[in-house]
Amino acid sequence: MNDSPTYSEAFDELQQIVSEIEEGQISVDELSEKVKRAAMLISICKSKLSSTEEDVNKILKDLEGESDDH
Amino acid sequence: MPEIAGDKKIYSLLEVAQSIQKTLSKRYTSAFWVKAEMNKLNFYPHSGHCYPDLVEKLDGKVIAQVKSTLWKDDYIRINNNFLHILKAPLSDGISMLFCARITFDAIHGLALRITDIDPVFSLGELEREKQETVSKLQQEGIFMQNKLLKLPMLPQRMAIISVQTSKGYADFLKIIGGNPWGYKFFHILFPSLLQGDNAVDSIIFQLERIRKIVNHFDVVAIIRGGGGDVGLSCFNNYRLSRQIALFPIPVLTGIGHATNETVVEMIAHKNAITPTELADYLLQKFHNFSVPVQKAEEKLIDKVKRILTEERLRVQNTAKYFRSVTENIVMRSHHEIQQRVRELFQQSNFLLLNEKKACASSVYKIRSGTLTFCNTSRQDIKQFAFSLRKDLQSILKQENSQMDHIIRSIANMHPENVLKRGYSITLINGKAITHVREVKNSDTLETILAEGTLFSEVKSIKNQDPL
Repeated sequence: MNDSPTYSEAFDELQQIVSEIEEGQISVDELSEKVKRAAMLISICKSKLSSTEEDVNKILKDLEGESDDH
Repeated sequence: MPEIAGDKKIYSLLEVAQSIQKTLSKRYTSAFWVKAEMNKLNFYPHSGHCYPDLVEKLDGKVIAQVKSTLWKDDYIRINNNFLHILKAPLSDGISMLFCARITFDAIHGLALRITDIDPVFSLGELEREKQETVSKLQQEGIFMQNKLLKLPMLPQRMAIISVQTSKGYADFLKIIGGNPWGYKFFHILFPSLLQGDNAVDSIIFQLERIRKIVNHFDVVAIIRGGGGDVGLSCFNNYRLSRQIALFPIPVLTGIGHATNETVVEMIAHKNAITPTELADYLLQKFHNFSVPVQKAEEKLIDKVKRILTEERLRVQNTAKYFRSVTENIVMRSHHEIQQRVRELFQQSNFLLLNEKKACASSVYKIRSGTLTFCNTSRQDIKQFAFSLRKDLQSILKQENSQMDHIIRSIANMHPENVLKRGYSITLINGKAITHVREVKNSDTLETILAEGTLFSEVKSIKNQDPL
C-alpha cells in the first residue's frame, strides 16, 4: 500500500474504498483497517484543498537563477 | 522668379517646393481610396495629431513607403469608428483602406493626408488574419494541443499573466482568495501588457519565463478585464497563439469581452468569458474534488455505522440463539440428571436392600457358626482341661519323687553327716585348707570334727605324689 499517495491517488483510492464498502466487499475484520486508511486519505485530500507547499521566494529565486544562465 | 546667372537659371528651394505643390494640386484634384498597411501610427498625444507610416509589403519586404498625416479631429472621429466597429483602436500594423489627398508642404514634403479610414475593410483584414492563424495552427496539427493536456484534479498553482492594477485581476484574486470553502490557491503574477501592439511580445516574454519554472505550476491563467472589447487583436496573433498551443501546461483564459472568440481563447485549455467566470471555474474544480471527498466521508460514516449496527444485531441474535440453545441443553441435562438421580436412588435402594438381606443372612450364619464354634471350643477346652489336669498330676508325682531323691542326696551331703562319717575340715586362720601348699611348718591348724574342734601344730609336710 502506498504510504504517501499524491492527492489524486488518495482521491482515487478513497473512491475505491467507498465503493468496496458500499458493495459490501469489506468484511467486518477488514473494516477497521479500511476506515483508518480512508480517514488518512480524507485528511490528505482535505489538507490539499486548504494548503499549498509552494514557496514564492524560492520560485522567484529559481527564475532569477535561470535568467542569469541566459 | 528665377535668377539668371550666365547660362544657368537658378530657382530657390521654396520656388521648387511651390512648383511641386502647384503641379501636384493641379494633377491630384480629388481625394482617392488607397489600400496600405499602417506600419506605425505615430500618435502625438500633446498635439493629438498622427503621422502614420504607410507601407506596402510583398513577401514581407517593403516595396512602397509613404508618410501621411492624420489630423486630430479626423483621428478622433476615425478612432471612434474603429472602436465601435472593430472593437479596437487604430493601431500599428493594421491593414486599412483609407481616403486621402496628396499634399505637399514646403517644409514637411510629400504626404498623404488621411481623411477617412474604412473600419469594415480593417475588420475584414483582422478577420482574415485570425482565420490565417487558425488555419496555420490546424495545418501544424497543434490547434487542439493545449486542450488535450490533462488538467490536474486541483488546478491549484497558477502562473497568472495579467496587469497588476486591472479590475479583472483584482476580481479574480478576490474570488479565489476569499472563497468561503477555504480552498487554497497559489499564484504568482507575471505582469504583461494585454492589449495593443506590444501585448504579443510582452505575453510571449512572460510565457518564456514561466516555461523555465513550469514545474511549480499546474496552469497558466491569462486574465484581462475592465478593458472593454478594445485591443483584442493581439490574441489572434499567430506567434502568440502558437506559443500557447505548444505550452507544456494548460493555459486558461479569462479575457473578458463580448465579441467573437479570439484564437488564443479558441486554443486555450479552457476559455472563460470573464476573469470572474474563470475563478468560478477553478472553484468548481475544487468542488468537484471536495464534494466527493465530503460525500465519501459521509458515506463511510453512514455505511460503517450501518455495518456495525447489522453486525451487532447479528451478534445479539446469535447470542440469543446460543442462549436459548444452551438453556435447552441445560434443561435437558437437568431432566436427565434428575432421571439419573431417581434411577440411582432406586438402584441404590434395591442394592441396599439386597445387601441388607445378605448381611442379615451373614449375621445369622456368623451367629450360628460362632455358636457352633463356641460349643466345639468349649468341648475342646473341657477336654484340654481334663487332660491338663491328668498330665499335671503325673508330672507332679514324678517331680515329687525326684525331689525326694534329691532331698535325700542333699541330706547325705550335709557336712554334719559327712563329719559324722569320719570326715573333718581343717582350717588355717579360719579358712578351709584345700592344698598342702597353703600350710607351712609350725602353723596352727584348726580341725573341725562332728562333735568338736582340734587345734594342732604342723610338724612336717609331705606332698602327695601327683596321681
